[in-house]
Amino acid sequence: MDALRISLQLLLVITSGLLIPLVLLHKGKGGGLSDMFGGGVSSSIGSSGVAERNLNRLTIMIAVTWAIVIVLLGLIQRVTN
Amino acid sequence: MLSAFVRAFRTPDLRRKLLFTIAIMSIFRVGSFLPTPGVSYPNVQICIDETAGNNDLLGLVNLFSGGALLQLSVFALGIMPYITASIIVQLLRVVIPRFEALHKEGQSGTAKLTQYTRYLTIALAILQSTTVITIARTGQLFSGCSVDVIPNDNVQTILLMVLTMTAGTGLIMWLGELISERGVGNGMSLLIFTSIAASFPTALWSIAGGDNGPTKFTVVLVIVVLVIGLVVFVEQSQRRIPVQYAKRMVGRKMYGGSSTYIPIKINMAGVIPIIFASSLLSVPQLLAQFGDQTSDWVIWLQVNLVDPSAPLHLVLYVVLIIFFCYFYTAITFNPDEVADNMKKYGGFIPGIRAGRPTAEYLSFVISRITAPGSVYLALVALIPTIAFILLDISQNIPFGGASILIVVGVGLETVKQIESQLQQRHYEGFLR
Repeated sequence: MDALRISLQLLLVITSGLLIPLVLLHKGKGGGLSDMFGGGVSSSIGSSGVAERNLNRLTIMIAVTWAIVIVLLGLIQRVTN
Repeated sequence: MLSAFVRAFRTPDLRRKLLFTIAIMSIFRVGSFLPTPGVSYPNVQICIDETAGNNDLLGLVNLFSGGALLQLSVFALGIMPYITASIIVQLLRVVIPRFEALHKEGQSGTAKLTQYTRYLTIALAILQSTTVITIARTGQLFSGCSVDVIPNDNVQTILLMVLTMTAGTGLIMWLGELISERGVGNGMSLLIFTSIAASFPTALWSIAGGDNGPTKFTVVLVIVVLVIGLVVFVEQSQRRIPVQYAKRMVGRKMYGGSSTYIPIKINMAGVIPIIFASSLLSVPQLLAQFGDQTSDWVIWLQVNLVDPSAPLHLVLYVVLIIFFCYFYTAITFNPDEVADNMKKYGGFIPGIRAGRPTAEYLSFVISRITAPGSVYLALVALIPTIAFILLDISQNIPFGGASILIVVGVGLETVKQIESQLQQRHYEGFLR
């Protein structure tokens, strides 16, 4: 059980470390604060190119792995206690 | 109203967008319940039950994360780092000339500013997650709780938790951007909306239960509905300053000649003054934490400033809200800039010369309209508090003015966007 836990924790470190730069690589579509609480309607017609699409795919993959690892770690903690 | 809703779902394009938005929102909610590795989930539940009601310190922050903060989940920080980062970047425009230049540059400059905001968000997320985990570890998050929230607190576990929470914050940021990009409305504000709206049922339940009777419950409901009505009314109202554009020929084409208006909302600053004021007012509380709990000044702070029903606290709250209202309106709406742009394109306000007189007129109108606007904002922020004090309901006030303002503001904005999409297909919308 311990070996599984440690390997999962290692995987969590890797995925977390990958997730942050991957998210930062995306083009920001937020628009800032004035946009957030009642600004004008900003219609951004985003045409995502191939690079953006691949980036999306990669980010989703990493994010899903990250979530699964967290769930598994939680389950292990439940079982061992 | 309902038929418009049905029609919105009949339009394939709009249906896809709405479903996408709802899907992302539910992912966000599910993540709020996923405990961070290293946190003992049963112990957290015990602690929340034991210390229910005396968590004022993190009130607003916890509200913004939809209760995820106290659960110490992977999305514990919620959207707060992003909000803080955008506030900082916005305020830095006044201080750093480069930011102001970027802002004036138009779209590409704004994109760069957004990118800075994103980097700052991650930095703040590291900082805030470390803070949250530290106060959770030392037991300050649940003061007086009998069990340990983080049973195994060696360095690796703590570092892993910080990393996970930071990654979670990054993921939230991306989810918000996905909504803005492919869904309906502004993603970040919709995520805030989700977390605040999610805390409403539990809050209602806690008021309905306990020792408050059904009469009080009804009174609270009536107050909430009344405040919502008032907020919708004021948020929709605006003063329209007429602008006439001169006709002119550029090449073979005729430009201008139209008359439009500059809409000036009564409350231009939105909820931001309330957020600023409440975060500033939480400073004395932090100071009091550091001092000796029995010394005179700490007791003075506790009685006069920290207690949300103390007169001095209320007065300061109102003064701060009014000040920030003016401050934020001055930052976001620059009369000189507007007057300059109007002059460039041959526009003028009837009866007023272009250039400096126009700027003076605009700033006069704005400072006059912001006066009732700021008072309104302060009132909305206070009405629930005062009502709850008068009714003598527990000090935990979930329906504070800030949350109602945010929910109504975001809701109106989103409905307007859906409506404009419907109108593209010649359908009647929600608002008539």
